[in-house]
Order: sequence, then C-alpha cells, then structure tokens
Amino acid sequence: MSQEKIDILQRALKREKAARKAAEKILEEKSGELYFSSQKIKELLAEKSSQLQGIFENIVDAYVVMEINGDILKFNDSATKLFGYDIDKESINAMDLIHKEDYEHAFSSFSELQANGFYKDYETRIFTKYGKVKWVHVNGSIVFDKDKKPVAAQGIVRDITEIKNLELQKEKLVLKLEKSNDELHQYAHIVSHDLKSPLRSIDALVNWLKEDNLEKFDEASIQNISLIETTLEKMEQLISDVLNYSSVAADNSNIIDINTNTLVKELLNIIYIPNHIEIKICNTLPTIKGDKTKLQQVFQNLISNAIKFSDKEKGLIEIDFKNIDDFYQFSIKDNGIGVEKRYHERIFKIFHSVNNSKDSSGIGLSIVKKIVDLYGGEIWLTSEPNVGTTFFFTLKKQPNGRS
Amino acid sequence: MKGIVFREFLDLVEEKFGLEMVDEIITKSDLESGGAYTSIGTYSFSEMLQLLQHLSAKTNISIDNLLLIYGEHLFAVLGNSYPGLLETYADPIEMLASIEDHIHIEVRKIYPDAELPTFIVEERTENSLVMIYKSSRAMHHFGLGLMNKTFEYFNSSATIVLEKIKEDGTEVKFIINKN
Repeated sequence: MSQEKIDILQRALKREKAARKAAEKILEEKSGELYFSSQKIKELLAEKSSQLQGIFENIVDAYVVMEINGDILKFNDSATKLFGYDIDKESINAMDLIHKEDYEHAFSSFSELQANGFYKDYETRIFTKYGKVKWVHVNGSIVFDKDKKPVAAQGIVRDITEIKNLELQKEKLVLKLEKSNDELHQYAHIVSHDLKSPLRSIDALVNWLKEDNLEKFDEASIQNISLIETTLEKMEQLISDVLNYSSVAADNSNIIDINTNTLVKELLNIIYIPNHIEIKICNTLPTIKGDKTKLQQVFQNLISNAIKFSDKEKGLIEIDFKNIDDFYQFSIKDNGIGVEKRYHERIFKIFHSVNNSKDSSGIGLSIVKKIVDLYGGEIWLTSEPNVGTTFFFTLKKQPNGRS
Repeated sequence: MKGIVFREFLDLVEEKFGLEMVDEIITKSDLESGGAYTSIGTYSFSEMLQLLQHLSAKTNISIDNLLLIYGEHLFAVLGNSYPGLLETYADPIEMLASIEDHIHIEVRKIYPDAELPTFIVEERTENSLVMIYKSSRAMHHFGLGLMNKTFEYFNSSATIVLEKIKEDGTEVKFIINKN
C-alpha cells in the first residue's frame, strides 16, 4: 500500500474516531436530558395524582365515575351521601338511579355525551336508595384511553332539589300575582265606575237646583254652586286619572313601530294650544318600538304640563331628541313658571301636584314615570323658577323582554 | 444542517468516486468540524457548500447535478429509515403537495431545530402540481432529486420543470406534470 493511501486511510480513521466521540458526547447529553425530564414527569405525575385525589375527596358536589354501560365504578363521599348507596358493598347501574319519567331524556343526553365527549347542564330527577326523589344537575364527560377509545364516563352531580322547589314556588307565585293584578285592575274599573255615577247624579241635581232657583239665590250662593260644579269636574278627572294610572302595566301585545314625529304632530292637533304659545320640534323624532297609547300619554302629559304652566307673554315649548347609545333621549323645554329644586323628586309621586290648580290632579307625571320605567328608561328635569323647565326622559332601544 | 445529510453525502461520494475523493474535498475545505460528522450532530451549512464546491471543481459536475444525484440517493435512505411515512400516501402528487403540512411537521418532531425549505402549493390537479420552493440554501435540485424518486417509488414518472423566480435560486417554481 502506498504511503499516500495509508495517509488517506489514517485521516479517515481519525475523522471517524472524532465523529464517534462527538456522537457519544451528544448521546450522553441526551440521556442526561431524558433522565432529567423523566424525573420531572414522575414528580409532576405524583403531584397531579395527589391533586386529583384531593379534588375527588374534597369536592362538595357528588362525583361519579361509571362504565360506558352505566355500571357505577366510583362514588366520592358526597355521591354516597346523595344516592345512599355504598358501592363497595352493592353494585348499581346509573339507570337504577334515574327517575322513570326522565328515561327518554337520559338516553338522548347520554348519546349526546358519547358523540361530543361532554354534556353540560343536564338536569334530571333521581331516586335515592331510600326512594326519595331528588333533582340533580350534572356536568359529564367521557374518559378516553390513550387510543382515544371511550372507557368510562364521569360526572359532577349537584343536588338542586331545593332550587327546583324554589323555582316551582316562584312560578306559582308569579301566576298568583298575575291573577291578583288582574283582579285589582277590574276592581279599579268597577270602583271608578261606581264612584262616577253618584258624581254625575250630584252634578245633575246641582244643575236642577241652580236652574230652579236662579232668581231666588243671591250672587254668593250662585258662585258657591259653580264652585261645586268645578269641584265635581275635578273629582271626575281625578277618578279617571287614578284608573289610568292603575291601567299602566307591562303589556307587550301592542308593541309596534311608532314614528314619534308623527305621533307628536298628531297630538299637537288635538291639544288646545293658546295663541301666545309656540311649539317647536327641533329635531326629526325617531321611529321606535312601543305601545302607541302609552307613548301618547307620555308626550301628552309633558306637553300639556308645559302649556299649563306657561306664564310668559310669548310662550315657547321646544321638543328635542338625542340618540344616546342604547337609549333615545327626548326633552321638552318650556319657558314657564319653573319648578323649585325641592319639588324635583316629589312631582313624580302620585297625588303630588305642586300647583293646586283645577285641572291638575297630580297623577299625570306619575303615569309618565310609570311608563318610562316600563321602557327601562329614566325621567328627570332641570328647572329655574320663573325662567323655565326642561323635562328629559329616555327610552331603552331594546326594551326588556322585547329583543 | 443535520449530520445525517453530511454522512449520507460523504458515503455517496465514497461510493461513486472513492475514499480519495472524500479525503481530497475534506482536506481542501476549511471545516470547523474537521470533516468528522455524526448523524446526530448539527453542522454549519457553509461546510456542505464547500464540500460541494470542491467536488464540483474536481469532477466537472455542476453543483445542481450533484445535488440532484444526492437527492435521489437520500430518498432511498429516508425511505428505509421511515417506511411508515411513505405508506401513508397513495399517490406521488398527494405526497408532494403535503410536504409543508405533513412531512415537514413529522421531520420537526424528530429534529425540532431542523431548518427546512418551504414548498407552497400554488395549483393542484389530479395529475399536476405547481409549487414555489423557498430557501436561503438554494438547494432546489436536491428537492428535484427527491421528487424524481418519489414518482419512481409510486411506479410513475413526471416531467418537472424548474423556473427560477430569483436569480440566486432561493425562490424557484416547480411545475410538475405526471406522465
């Protein structure tokens, strides 16, 4: 063999040795890493197992593990207490626990659990060992083995019997409340009718008395009689208003699109507006969802009030509108007598009229507030005595229960 | 660059041109590793570049052609080492189209730090495939060698045209038509 060939072979050998050493070094490092990470995994596993054991033992809710066929494998203490079975001594199947009337729901829910791997918020009635019926809420999931084959199902079971009972009770109460509300409404109708008819009789009688004795009565008596008539009128108005107030209830049957611009313009044709008062609509008012009669009541009351309390030579009433996030905000501004600060809260309460005038029963604003409340809105005012008042009210764009 | 690429390359050089050639190109190159490669190590790409340049100069075969032959050789090696990977495919076009989404993902499981080229599928029909190769290594002919053998493996053949998008070969369009 030539020297050159020997040199080549020696160099090749040297490289191979170096490569082997490098490889061994790399492998050694890798084994070290592997050992280290396997230690870590062992520690982690021990930690997780102890955590799981802790959860299993300490969880307040019942925890159940069962085979796919429903045979119960594990109960924690809460589960043993809830169901009453000691699974170390007796074997049971999930179907033994479920209320017969809920079987169908149980089957369909279990198929869904198998298909999706989990099932949330399953509610059913169960039988305890002692024949007691309980309502339970279950969040379940499938346990898979490493080949992703389902091997068991587990669930957290919560006793919701109390809550269910309360719910049932609540439903009953709501029904009862609705009924008594209806009755109350009817009652208000009857009472107002019954109250009004003697009023009308008194009115007629007073009238006859006046006509028959026109020449016999002196001026003071005639004035007193006309005062009686005014008072009767006010009394009748009062009764109508009380009836109106009691009729304002949440009733969603008449909810339609309402163009408030048209609604207000129509109102302005009906309401008596003295010549010295000018009414301006500053902005095109929006079309909103609502009950026409109720919205009419709101605008009519506020506009009438503004007219009623105008004391200037030239009265000006401005109706405006603003879009604010989830709300429509309307405002009615006048340059009338104004409202003192101390009355700002009180005027929305029933029978609180600041002015004891003949045509103010003190109910109007309380009706307005009741309606605005129904629409999830608010009503308030800013005012300066002798300068004017601005009433603001908001209506929710998506009123409650009307999405 | 992974050591297996160097090992297989030098084995091929030895098989085709003899140990003298291996010695020659290693001695002529300025290698940080001194030419001692182990499959499980990682080495600088510039070492491969030098080895290729010296082999090309010595044999008068272009670097592209050397890479082509090397690619064809490495396919068999990889096929023997990872038979499961090839078995998941029924068709060469399907396999080539999944380089990015499947094969390279599998490679990264074994070699997390591997620096891989990208193969973006532009068009695909049953019998044709257009892909854009992108890599700073400009080893498109190595890819071509692997592709040739892919078709051979499936008892098929194809006409593969390479169009350079960038002059330096770092971005190349592969137009593959099954025969």
